[in-house]
Amino acid sequence: MKRRDFLKSAGLAAAGAFAVPYILPSGRLFAATGARKANHVVFCLYAGGVRNMESVEMVDGNLMPALLNGNSPISADIISAMDPLPSSPLPQALQNYGTLFRKFKYSEGPTGHFNGHTVAMTGVYTTNDIVIKSNPKVPTIFEYYRKHNTPQQNALNCWWVANALGPYPALNYSNAPGYGSEYGANFISPTSIYSGAGQATIQNVLNLSNNENDAMLKMRSFLNQNFNRSYVNGEAGVYNGDADAGLINTFLSDMFLQSNPQPWGISSSIMSNDMYNIYFAEEILKRFKPELMVVNMQDVDICHFNFTQYANNLRKADYSVAHLWNTIQNTPGLANDTILIIAPEHGRNFNGNNSIDAYGRRALDHTADSNVTQGDQMAREIFCMVVGPPSVVKQGQVFSPNAQSPFVGESTDIVPAIANILGFDTNIPNTFGIKNYNSTDIKQAFF
Amino acid sequence: MRTIKYILILLLFAAVSCKKETSFLYEVEPVTVSQNNGSGKNNVKSTIEFISIAYADIFGSNISTSELQTLNIVYTAFGDKKLIEDRIIRSFLNSPGANIPSSVSVGGDTAQFVVNTYKKLYNREPNEFEKYYTVQLIKNEIYLSARVIYYALMTSDEYRYY
Repeated sequence: MKRRDFLKSAGLAAAGAFAVPYILPSGRLFAATGARKANHVVFCLYAGGVRNMESVEMVDGNLMPALLNGNSPISADIISAMDPLPSSPLPQALQNYGTLFRKFKYSEGPTGHFNGHTVAMTGVYTTNDIVIKSNPKVPTIFEYYRKHNTPQQNALNCWWVANALGPYPALNYSNAPGYGSEYGANFISPTSIYSGAGQATIQNVLNLSNNENDAMLKMRSFLNQNFNRSYVNGEAGVYNGDADAGLINTFLSDMFLQSNPQPWGISSSIMSNDMYNIYFAEEILKRFKPELMVVNMQDVDICHFNFTQYANNLRKADYSVAHLWNTIQNTPGLANDTILIIAPEHGRNFNGNNSIDAYGRRALDHTADSNVTQGDQMAREIFCMVVGPPSVVKQGQVFSPNAQSPFVGESTDIVPAIANILGFDTNIPNTFGIKNYNSTDIKQAFF
Repeated sequence: MRTIKYILILLLFAAVSCKKETSFLYEVEPVTVSQNNGSGKNNVKSTIEFISIAYADIFGSNISTSELQTLNIVYTAFGDKKLIEDRIIRSFLNSPGANIPSSVSVGGDTAQFVVNTYKKLYNREPNEFEKYYTVQLIKNEIYLSARVIYYALMTSDEYRYY
């Protein structure tokens, strides 16, 4: 072969190698622009307002044995009110699979549930009052992911699973310029759908045969071509294409059929709303293997009037998170390729309110207001746990407060961390004030 | 000669004066007022409007407040509104109380079925092209039952607007 021919064919081969797409081991067609730490992130908001005294400080014993190391017994005066739960499905406490930040901080803004959720999902504090049931003014992590990840992903890869309605459906996308529903997450409140309301209204639906469906699509296509507007253009919330919508519809139907009041072998009288929500999140993870999911729990908010049930619900939430991690590790495609971040949206007050439960315990509110010095500042103290593959997340690491560093990390660290894990943090413009990942404390959880 | 001129002038005056007035009665032919195509529909129905109208179209009665509240819970619980609306419509269509024609023709007249269906669901008559195309489609597609046609119309973009 002549030297010129050799160089020409070698050059073409090299160009082809760069130009032709290839399937990565993860199943992705193209590599993302940034290096990824993992291909899946689940952010579990251990929400409802959790005080560090009952979680990591274990003042009433270890109420979270599936997550935290320690055998200190539950306080004798409340132990009889604790529901029996199975032992954790994990061989050791979850904190050993990653890094625990014992004193994380919700630094600014009112300690309200919707504020806390909004901060956790946008990475920006809301120091002003926010309009309940209104989409955030700044983009959510879902929109950053769907807009700035390369290649862009559809909504099937991105879920927000909420344990309640109220204002929470509004958190799947913002009304920030350049973002919005086009980049939003699939929102679902499973316990609202798989309830009497759902069974009465959308369980038994007309199912078309393939032939009927083909004929129907032909007709609808004609009808839509003759109309000059498209309903899916932002006014219909998040949009899944026909193929993805079909998959989701099948999933919704399957879940009605699978509807099991004891999905984890736990009596329905003990299963809480949080537990059901995590169960449905697990089913979504198993079916769609999304790259990004945010799921929450809020049953501990019963603490406004019943401290003892707050303690009981902390235990149920603890078991649920361990079950979630166990499911992830037993799901091909997610195992060893998923990072789970766990944090409350805010804490609770040091001082109790006037409600005293049947066990003589005083209930707790969360009243640190928008002024960072007024109200009960203990409501700003939370914990954060990051668990994941040992090659990515530092195992068994604990950051404890000390005189020099009373807090390590804050709520607004989480969004940039998720963006960094999925490799698109450097693509996010610095328009809306999220932190640079390199200036976060949470990065210390990773190699 | 002069006499003749006077006579002609008198005849002219007689011709233009004191004419009996004709009375005219203007009337309007009765017409049906409806949108003759979907181009005038600019407003998206609200959630409540969509559910209420769909219910009335299928069941021929107004939805009760409690049913509306129940549906609103489900509607709010999923982020893809088009997807959940699809399930709501399919649920309505699957209900034993659904009031759907048993045939795709009215006494053998497919065009009349098409006109009736457009008027009921789109609140307008189909234009000639729509009528022709839809009739042909029904004739060629044996799987287009009245229920399937209702489903296609009620999940189309035009049905979401008024």
